[in-house]
Amino acid sequence: MSKLEFVHTTYIETSAEKLWQALTDGDFTERYWFGHRVASDWEPGSPYQFVHGGTETIEGNVLMADPFRRLVYTWNGCGGDAQREPTSRVTFHLEPCGNIIKLTVTHDHLDEAGKTFRDISGGWPMVLSSLKSLLETGHALNIDPPSAAIREAACA
Amino acid sequence: MRKPEFIYVTYIETTPEKLWEALTDGDFTERYWFGVRLRSDWKAGSSFEMVRSDGSVSDAGKVVEYDPPRRLAYTFVNLSATYKGEPPALATFVIEPYGKLVKLTLTHEGFAEGGKFLDGVSKGWPAILSGLKSLLETGRPLDVPYAAMKGES
Repeated sequence: MSKLEFVHTTYIETSAEKLWQALTDGDFTERYWFGHRVASDWEPGSPYQFVHGGTETIEGNVLMADPFRRLVYTWNGCGGDAQREPTSRVTFHLEPCGNIIKLTVTHDHLDEAGKTFRDISGGWPMVLSSLKSLLETGHALNIDPPSAAIREAACA
Repeated sequence: MRKPEFIYVTYIETTPEKLWEALTDGDFTERYWFGVRLRSDWKAGSSFEMVRSDGSVSDAGKVVEYDPPRRLAYTFVNLSATYKGEPPALATFVIEPYGKLVKLTLTHEGFAEGGKFLDGVSKGWPAILSGLKSLLETGRPLDVPYAAMKGES
């Protein structure tokens, strides 16, 4: 198993409950995750999917859902080359820190030479920047990215 | 073996000019950088210092690049005993307009093998840059406890 991982930490002025909702509620993800809606019952072992414009883009299974604290799921890209990549894993760790929340996203089990690592390294900073803006200002970032970045955003 | 470096990318709803000011103006850094004022004349080769609110210097190095509002680079190392003997490491900020946003990429590199400074900055930068983004977007910095910057991940 590759030890390669991507880690991004951000501090957000919000509550753990709101951040949890933002990570697990499709109405919410659609607003900051560039139109991608997530759906799942968030029970351990259950499937989840991200859907964008009627097309499934990411799918996997819930490994752990400890509300307001920790969410872990497997990650499979659904488009083209991504299907040949190994299943990777995403962990969201929420920690209260004074009156804000420290969110650490760790994406691991990645293939060093793979497309997934490149895509998610570009995608997570966009998604998490937009998430932070939405929770703090009430509006997501209006990212108007070049086409390559749209692909990245779609994959993370 | 991957290079010992820290990379952080964030997207901020602001202008390159405002972000540049936020990265270089002591009055501004004091608000989101745990009270630290950056002190330098910003000429390449000049000294660069982080000054705490009590006037003591926490970190020191040199200016490497000053190209407003695009690229800023300086070296520094924390002067506490924890990092004794470690060389100043190079922090480079690249500012790119990105639609109506600005993409900020920080690359911090040039750490001693087996040193502790990389781990230190890896904990500090996310808190500092999160506060910077909040300040520019909401007008208010984050109230990140200082311990968060030092503490366990």
